[in-house]
Amino acid sequence: MKAWLMQTKVEVLRIFRNPYFVFWSLFMPIVFYFVFTNIFNTGMGDSWNSRFLMSITCFSVMGTSILTLGIRLVEEKAHGWSNFMRTTPLSSSVYFSAKMVGQTMIHICSVIIIFVVGAVINGVSLSVWQWLTSALWILIGALPFLAIGTIIGAMNKVETAAGISNFFYMVLAFMGGLFMPIEVLPSIFKTIAKAIPSYHYGAGVWEITEGGTPSLLNIAVLTGYFLLFVVLSIYIRRKQEVVV
Amino acid sequence: METIIATNHLSKRYKNLWAVNDVSFEVNKGELLAVLGKNGAGKSTTLLMLLGLVKPTLGNILILNKQPQERAVKEKIGVMLQEVSVIDALSVKEVLLMFSSYYENPLRLEEVLEITGIPIEMLKKRAYKLSGGQKRRLNFALAILSNPQIVFLDEPTVGMDSTVRKKFWQAIQFLNDEGKTVIFTTHYLQEADDVAKRIMLFNQGKVIADGSPLQLKSHLSDGAISFTSDQVDINLLQTFSHVISAKITNQRIVLTTTSTDALLGELFEKKVVMRDIHLHRARLEDAFESLTVEGGSVNESLVDANESRSITDI
Repeated sequence: MKAWLMQTKVEVLRIFRNPYFVFWSLFMPIVFYFVFTNIFNTGMGDSWNSRFLMSITCFSVMGTSILTLGIRLVEEKAHGWSNFMRTTPLSSSVYFSAKMVGQTMIHICSVIIIFVVGAVINGVSLSVWQWLTSALWILIGALPFLAIGTIIGAMNKVETAAGISNFFYMVLAFMGGLFMPIEVLPSIFKTIAKAIPSYHYGAGVWEITEGGTPSLLNIAVLTGYFLLFVVLSIYIRRKQEVVV
Repeated sequence: METIIATNHLSKRYKNLWAVNDVSFEVNKGELLAVLGKNGAGKSTTLLMLLGLVKPTLGNILILNKQPQERAVKEKIGVMLQEVSVIDALSVKEVLLMFSSYYENPLRLEEVLEITGIPIEMLKKRAYKLSGGQKRRLNFALAILSNPQIVFLDEPTVGMDSTVRKKFWQAIQFLNDEGKTVIFTTHYLQEADDVAKRIMLFNQGKVIADGSPLQLKSHLSDGAISFTSDQVDINLLQTFSHVISAKITNQRIVLTTTSTDALLGELFEKKVVMRDIHLHRARLEDAFESLTVEGGSVNESLVDANESRSITDI
């Protein structure tokens, strides 16, 4: 328990002290949000402002899940950390769960900061219930992306991991309609969007801002992807262990 | 004596290469053991197997009568691996406290600092900003903060300057005096010779020698005497009873012998005129060479090495 608490604290500290996290997961989404809603006046009004606020929060949390988690895991392996940790009594389940909890704490902070920015800069106003359920959706819906992070984390080189994860991150964000509504894009994009998790991640929370609830399809697709990525991640790790 | 490590026909194969090939040995409590060998000799692989990080292909290991992967074992060992760069974004103090939280009975921070010689000012520094030598010291601190029974050190002094290195070995000596078992790998022969009470020499995946530094050196009892002289017949020297061979190298007469003491006596007795006499003693390096290199000329390396001692020092 002592080790678990310490480990969680350390994970949170490490992420906050990481300039890449602060830049990519907090600063960039806020800049995007500001630029997209104020400088390019889209004239889409309040509902667009609140919808886009949710998109950008999804974008931020997705980034932390894939990039921060994935690249960090690769770094730990490349620097001999993972091996060294295995010589200590710290069990891998404590290590892993502390990482997940640390990661979730960071997500909570990102969500709060971005929500506050939205409310202050653009006067986005939602009911308390909507704010809370949106936050909850974004936190829980991040699971498939955390699982992607652990797959990225199975890679051996930091450069490869950074390149690949950034690529997937941007593709997922764009194709999922987190930057612009897929309705304004050619229909082929709509078809693709409906097959990838990032769209359903966003769609669930857009529903909430419009007074609805995430559809069962959103939940089913995210759950499906989560299970798929977890199985894949475990499979890759098993295979790597055999080599040792 | 209490056996705390036992390996039995330990072997590890990577593809077609047996990195470790049928190695059996025991380590008793309180030993200070150097595992010596060239790169690729199998010493690091053996160490990684002892730590439970690499699975043996064949054979088995018992540490404190348990499997190396068991938590109870990890509680009682301390490890310093090669090329572990310290965790990012944390200060030295945070790293130390984090690791302390993993163990049931860790040393107090002050004790760790005292043993490792980490100055208080270093605690606030971010771990990744440390110099190479400081990082090694932090890694050393991580290896001992659990108050372990066994300390494993993989090439511990790489990257340390001579002052730090000296202090490091003093700390190891201190831990060993306290009854801790210390096992380190090195390719610095001098280090093994100076520090270890027992040396295991690895070559091509096998243990080819195992004993005290003295025993290993006596494996090769030849020493040599060299001196300068204008009036000596080398053919005559060749006939001396304690001379194995006589030759002239760099204007010095070099006599190899099984006993430098006896040969000196003989030289004085026969009133050979000598100036600038040097004694060359067998060194571990030579034992190492002769054991690992086939057909190498041991006697030449004795003289070429600048390890000679002037007779006035003796």
